[in-house]
Amino acid sequence: MRFWSTIPERLKLTVVLTGALLLLVAGVWVAVFNERLYREQKTRDVAVEAEILAASVAGALAFDDRSTVQQYVDALGANPEVEIVGVYDDKGVLVARFARKDAAEGPTLEITRPVTQGQTGLGRVYLKTITEPAVRRASRVGIIALLAVMASLLVAMMGTGQAAQRRANKALAERAEELAEANRQLEIEMEERARAEEALRQSQKMEAIGQLTGGVAHDFNNLLMVASGGLDLMDRTEDPVRRQKLKDGVREALTRGADLVRQLLAFSRRTALKPEVVDLGQKIESMRILLDRSLREDITVNMDLAEHLWPVELDANQLELAILNLAVNARDAMPNGGPIVVKAENAPSHRRDGETGDYVCVSVSDQGQGMAPDIVSRVFEPYFTTKEVGKGTGLGLSQVYGFCRASGGEVRIVSEPGQGTTVAMYLPRSNKAAPEKPIEAVRRRRTRAQGRVLLVEDDEGVAALVAEMLTELGYAPTRASTVSTALDVFDRDPAYDMVLSDMVMPGERNGLDLAREIWKRRAGVPILLTTGYSEAAAQATAEGVRVLLKPYRIEALASELEAAKADARRLHA
Amino acid sequence: MQQRPPLVRARPAACLAALAACVLMAAAPPAQAQNLEVAVKATYLYKFAPFVEWPPSAFETEVTPLSICIQGEDPFGPVLDRAVAGQRVGPRAVVVRRMARVERNAGCHILYAGGSRAQSAGDALRAVRGAGVLTVTDSGHETGAHGIIQFRIKDGRVRFDIDDAAAAEDHLTISSKLLSLALSVRTRR
Repeated sequence: MRFWSTIPERLKLTVVLTGALLLLVAGVWVAVFNERLYREQKTRDVAVEAEILAASVAGALAFDDRSTVQQYVDALGANPEVEIVGVYDDKGVLVARFARKDAAEGPTLEITRPVTQGQTGLGRVYLKTITEPAVRRASRVGIIALLAVMASLLVAMMGTGQAAQRRANKALAERAEELAEANRQLEIEMEERARAEEALRQSQKMEAIGQLTGGVAHDFNNLLMVASGGLDLMDRTEDPVRRQKLKDGVREALTRGADLVRQLLAFSRRTALKPEVVDLGQKIESMRILLDRSLREDITVNMDLAEHLWPVELDANQLELAILNLAVNARDAMPNGGPIVVKAENAPSHRRDGETGDYVCVSVSDQGQGMAPDIVSRVFEPYFTTKEVGKGTGLGLSQVYGFCRASGGEVRIVSEPGQGTTVAMYLPRSNKAAPEKPIEAVRRRRTRAQGRVLLVEDDEGVAALVAEMLTELGYAPTRASTVSTALDVFDRDPAYDMVLSDMVMPGERNGLDLAREIWKRRAGVPILLTTGYSEAAAQATAEGVRVLLKPYRIEALASELEAAKADARRLHA
Repeated sequence: MQQRPPLVRARPAACLAALAACVLMAAAPPAQAQNLEVAVKATYLYKFAPFVEWPPSAFETEVTPLSICIQGEDPFGPVLDRAVAGQRVGPRAVVVRRMARVERNAGCHILYAGGSRAQSAGDALRAVRGAGVLTVTDSGHETGAHGIIQFRIKDGRVRFDIDDAAAAEDHLTISSKLLSLALSVRTRR
């Protein structure tokens, strides 16, 4: 059958048709052969009968015993196949005969045999028989008919089989086409889902920020109060000591505000998931201001971070969002205020899904109203919320859940009504080492000449301030207000030691374009870009350009300028 | 294919046998019946030949003619001559010889003993006894002699008795087909 299946369909049909035809021909041949054989046999049989008759009647014929001859003849007539029997004497005179009245139609056989005794002829006998009875004839025709029917059936079955196979093949092809179409649909849906997930992450962040807005605004109000009040008081006093005190207060308020905004911006930046090895202690510590300031005044945030936490590999942005979400939930669980504890500790041999492994546990606890078990079982569902309309979207805990699963960990929740809630995130330990802590901005003053700086800044006020800062740091700034003028200046005098440019400026080209142009003219010029937009910053960083986020303090500027110079030296040594 | 012989249509030249048949069925006048009876007997004389086996010494060669001897009174006359004319028994021709007396070495194969004054039928039979001659007598003639075959009329038909014992003594073998046609058979011991 394997050999058969390799034959092409058309050839198969030909083979079967030929086979059927051969069968039919063979059947007819066999029938004809049988017919001839039968006729020969019959002829022999009849001849023998005639010879027996001849021998039997010899004496009676010779001596004219007609009755005896007639008896022999009649005896032969008992055979229904015999039609006519005749016995003639040596003169050819009929002596006895038998003739069947109701002779059947059909082929007949006639035999004449001499009657002899010794070598003397005494007469002859004549015999006429039906070759073949009708029944036998019908059966033979029936066999041929049967063969013909079988052959036709064979052909018909083959035809039907082939048709069925063609139909099956067609159906199969259609099914494959449908499958391919379904696959295309699936791919499209997957893409859409990926986009939707990204949008969801972004909306989760925005949701969290929305939750913070009240607190941030309140904090900002306080900062502004400190700043404006400080300035007012400075106008009213000439006492240098008191003025210095007020100045310090104002600066601290502004610094705090800048930090807050930077964190908000960094947080709301639209980024793809990017796992990296993170030092949890450092990362959580850096959130202290945000958490302190953005929740409510009656909420205190206590950090309980163990020493020597294992490194974990995860998306830092999502981690911050998860902690923020948990903190917001903790805040909302304590309408009358209270402490929130953010705790991080190593969890060796933590059992999860039947397997043990090393994890780092980050938990956020409150002493709020707690939750009933039936609510606990549903809190990780998207859009599930116990909060009033307008207070939450229900995406917070589902983000926490999704973040933990995506990081290869899990989230556990312990809550009882009136006993507060603890949400613990178990994040798997990474065997990669955490990166070195970034060098703290060094507070130092440069008095000696640091070189000439091309300063590109469209805002007059900012430009004047930054020029002052550069001069203070020992640099000699030359200002240009657009990318085009900056390039003109650089073309006339390409010997600048550094370029410090704002990122977003009026005109078609921005700071990043300027950096590319300048490096095209002279590779290895240290370039530092500044911007308030985190997205633009990410783009520049991706191209290897250092970015300093606005607002910045003079120490940060000094540090970044040095770093930019170090980069240039390293890359173009 | 063999040519189909006529079934119903009789040949114009109807033979003696046919005539004899007519005699048996029709009430013919005595003289005519007499003639027919003679004719049938004449025919039978040579027709016996194929059913009888003679000892090899009876014939000199393969083609030695079969001799039918009519001893004494001849009831057949020209009827017998016409009947045997052109007839052959196998390869042998048939000859008719008439004689007043028969001798043992007369070379007869079939002897019809009619009897005469010169030699009675019984004497004729005795003369050839043991010499391998098929003797034929007729019960219709009051000779008192019985040959191996004796004609007898039964139901108006010419039949015969056979003395197979006598045939055995004469070293003759008579076919069972002929014996079965006989009215009576004296079987050989």
